Amino acid sequence: MLLRQFIKNSSNPPLTPPKEGKLPPFGRVGVGQTSNFKTMKKELNIIGKSHQKLDGKERVSGKAVYGHDIELPNMLHGSILRAKYPCAEIISIDTSKALTLEGVECIITANDVDVNNIGYKRDHPILKKGTVNCNRDEIAAVAAQTKEIADKAIQLIEVKYKIKEGVYDPFEALKETAPRINEFGKGAEQFGNKNVAEYFHYEHGNLAEQKAKSKVIVKKRYELPRVTHACMATSNITAEFNNFDGRLTLWSSTQVPFLYQRDIAHALKMEPSKIRVIQPIIGGGFGSKLDMHPFEPICVLLAKKSGKPVQILYSREEEFLASPTRQPMVIDLTTGCDENGKFTFREVEIIKDNGAYTSWGATTPFVMMQSYSSLYQVPACKFDSHAVYTNNPFAGSFRGYGNPQATFSIESNIDLMAEELGMDKREIRLINANYKGEITGQGLHFKTCGAIPALKTVIEKSNYDKIMAAPNTGRYKRGVGLGSMLHVGGGAKIYRSDGCGTTLKLDDYGYLTIVTGSNEIGQGSETVLAMIAMEELGIPKEKIKVINTDTDVKPWDVGVHASRTSFVAGNSLLGAIKLIKEKLNNKASQLLNVKTNEWEYKDGSMLFNGQEIKLDKVAREMHFASPHELCTVNYFYEPPSRFQDKDFKGDVSGNYAFASQAIEVEVDTVTGNVQVLNVHVSQDVGRVLNPIGLQGQMEGGLATGIGYALTEEMIYEKGILKNPSFHGYKMLTSTDMPDVHFYPIETYDEAGPYGSKGAGEAPLIPTAAAIANAVSNALGVRFYSLPITAEKVLRALSEKKLETRNSKQETNKI
Amino acid sequence: MNFEVISPKTTPELLNAIYDNQTENFRIGAGFTDLINQFKTQETEGLILINLTQLKDDNFKLIIENKTNFQIGALTTASEIIDNKSIKENFPVLYQAASKLASTQIRNVATVGGNICNVSPSGDMTAALIALKATCHIIDCDGNERKELLSSFIRGLKKTSLTKKEIIKNITIPKNAGQNLKSGFEKVGSRKSMEISIVSLAYHLQLTNDGIITHAGVACGAVAPTIPFTTSACEFLIEKNINTISENDKEEFAIKVLEYANPISDIRASDWYRKEVLFNVSKTIFGK
Repeated sequence: MLLRQFIKNSSNPPLTPPKEGKLPPFGRVGVGQTSNFKTMKKELNIIGKSHQKLDGKERVSGKAVYGHDIELPNMLHGSILRAKYPCAEIISIDTSKALTLEGVECIITANDVDVNNIGYKRDHPILKKGTVNCNRDEIAAVAAQTKEIADKAIQLIEVKYKIKEGVYDPFEALKETAPRINEFGKGAEQFGNKNVAEYFHYEHGNLAEQKAKSKVIVKKRYELPRVTHACMATSNITAEFNNFDGRLTLWSSTQVPFLYQRDIAHALKMEPSKIRVIQPIIGGGFGSKLDMHPFEPICVLLAKKSGKPVQILYSREEEFLASPTRQPMVIDLTTGCDENGKFTFREVEIIKDNGAYTSWGATTPFVMMQSYSSLYQVPACKFDSHAVYTNNPFAGSFRGYGNPQATFSIESNIDLMAEELGMDKREIRLINANYKGEITGQGLHFKTCGAIPALKTVIEKSNYDKIMAAPNTGRYKRGVGLGSMLHVGGGAKIYRSDGCGTTLKLDDYGYLTIVTGSNEIGQGSETVLAMIAMEELGIPKEKIKVINTDTDVKPWDVGVHASRTSFVAGNSLLGAIKLIKEKLNNKASQLLNVKTNEWEYKDGSMLFNGQEIKLDKVAREMHFASPHELCTVNYFYEPPSRFQDKDFKGDVSGNYAFASQAIEVEVDTVTGNVQVLNVHVSQDVGRVLNPIGLQGQMEGGLATGIGYALTEEMIYEKGILKNPSFHGYKMLTSTDMPDVHFYPIETYDEAGPYGSKGAGEAPLIPTAAAIANAVSNALGVRFYSLPITAEKVLRALSEKKLETRNSKQETNKI
Repeated sequence: MNFEVISPKTTPELLNAIYDNQTENFRIGAGFTDLINQFKTQETEGLILINLTQLKDDNFKLIIENKTNFQIGALTTASEIIDNKSIKENFPVLYQAASKLASTQIRNVATVGGNICNVSPSGDMTAALIALKATCHIIDCDGNERKELLSSFIRGLKKTSLTKKEIIKNITIPKNAGQNLKSGFEKVGSRKSMEISIVSLAYHLQLTNDGIITHAGVACGAVAPTIPFTTSACEFLIEKNINTISENDKEEFAIKVLEYANPISDIRASDWYRKEVLFNVSKTIFGK
């Protein structure tokens, strides 16, 4: 009843209630369709209808060429020797025995190479000397004629260590008495503690005033585990160095080819343009390939030294051991609300286990502070985050980039505040939800906003009331939980440019080549680009080629991150299409002797007023007839977002994505297992471009999110990974997937292509939060750390039983 | 991995291969789902692999109904067990154990004999067969045959009574006395597939028409170095009526099962969890 009252009395801008659309494969919800963006008005034939991925057939039939499939003439195979101990002094390295093994071509150690440290803090030596600081540390590398020989040679390298006591807890590392872990870290000078690798501070509003206003204040500590991407294709690289012209070709599965080119160049003291990065088909990215890792420059060093191409492929065990992880952290979150449930403030202190070196994990506050400052309406916010060196492995970026962690803590605290206030958990979210036109304390401007429609949709669709009202006795207990999220939807201006270039070529036969700066890592963006070209130019799919794998050919782009690719590359392509249409329009008008710019593009032809000319004919006439020009154009798109100021304030993205999930779980009180029964997810995607691709992003993201919530954890004991296999690392399988009910919200944001917003990361961001809230709802016990394993559940239940028994005994005494 | 492979096609060839290599280091492989993993971490140089995938002998392969028992060839795969109607009807515990094993791909190649000889405390089909009081039929390369109850065939962690000369030919399960059964396999793990049991409970209770328990077989997996047949818990159930069994009796049964548990703590679960779950699950087998 409270909820209904709210909807009636809401002071937020009125919004059309969610409606079921007709388009398969799922209902859609449209909001605010009054935008004047011209491409939104016209009827679309391609966009919004499902299209198979361009490389779908190759992938499912095994024809796709991954990095592992590449074979070059005379190619050698590389293998890396890693530290035996996570914290030790290296006394000596003896490679003599390994060198005598037949088939070994060369061995490198830190003493053989002239290189720079890597990582954005430049605190990470490619090959370690003097000391090793974590169990993935690279000490030596071998190139040999076969992988087996290389692996054997690695075992023949003799390293003498002096074992040291490591520091595996960031709170221990912060102590005065702790040893300095990374000798290149500048913590003492920059942050007042030798083991602090990175620090972020953010604030807005008047914290003291808001605290005073608060009726309820909840302070809790949340602990987030270390999890890994577990890409199906293990890390791989093939390097070929040309001794004659000093040029390097890399077949690499990086997500960010142009940044990578620069990073490789810096690491190896080369000129970036001498490095050509070619991307074979990538078997999973999810953020893991956003940074360059030591094995990549090591592969180049082996290729240079041996004079032959070298390939390094990780085994599955090595993939677990040596690829980046999601950033683990401890979050102390204090939040408040007034007597009406309106949020007053958020104060958060985060300690991150940075590991031994600094990669992108340390920069997750960029995203986290957005959620703390701006997910729901937050009058005041204070945010502090320390990334602390330890002898654990370092964390990188991972789909969501800190946001799943932040959202888990925020949404848990919201439930707790509602409970303390005696307020409906739906209502407290709805009265605080973000709204269209809001400019948040951090300066994010929500020109469109599907937050409230998304929340209302999942509440309605999930049978929330029914689940809450059902009797909850017996072995299996059911519960439902809510979680919402905010994420960038129009790129993120982290670098000086967040843009993307496109070159278009229409050939003499009417085939269109799209050369895009963006790249495909399986997310489906190249398919969306082809769809845009089909839509705008009326060229069939078979006549469209997307070229996106070669830095020597394609124009600049930041890379795949921040859910940005379809947004920036789509806008860039639309810009290029506008230019090529101008050319074509002029030529067609000239050829048919009409004066118009209103040509319609359909089925490979241009039409106007009953006249028709084939596209290929126009292109040929441009090419072969005077004044002889090519039908090509270049366009560069830069999003309207702004670089944030030194206080991290500013409208950092072209638009913002919102989503809510209502998740129903069933807890088996006999085993402690939590089963996710139904996921209702509603997401403001601006506009649906490729429904089947979007559904895939939803399901894939949810699989990762559910694993994060319930089962996945890299188990470390004193810096050593105890479960480097799928046997021990419990990534869920298809049989564990619940039914996914997806309701996209279309807000038609002007900034995005056809009104769309980035959608890739969002599906997993609120999942753990909603599951944790659902488990708490089912059991009456709350979990403050992930994953919520069966053992944690059973322990909590047995403690609860004990508590109840004890309190009963006490009552009896009285 | 670098080893010699012998692929016998007949039983005499197989026995010859075993005989000829008595002084060598050899391993026998059927489904290879465990062996390949072991080879990844073991030195395989000089190893001889006797590969059973090409062996053609019905005694090793078929599921046969005899007068007093069912005979299951050692090379029967988990999928073949699942597909067999008699197994499903007579021994739901084995059907369920095979169904819950790993994934379809693994079930298509993993064999009963392999599951037994891998001697894992969490072997699902092995636990079911122990609850069913199965017997191993063993032959050796000198032409001898012998039988041994599966629960005594397994001698300890990774240990069986099998000598280097011997191989399991098939397994027999005594026929049920009647039609009324309460039989099933509870597998506890964090995934629905590709999971190795954290705890398992295999139970096979035979009942009169009125629900009186006449025969009981209960074994628990992954809670001790070997899979125990819980004799005292089984004896406790005899003559109890499954329809009216009291909560106290359920608890007492669970306590008796728990007496056989001596679990370890590892990355998958603590000893506390394993005991707690075994206790909890044991109480639930009587319900519908």
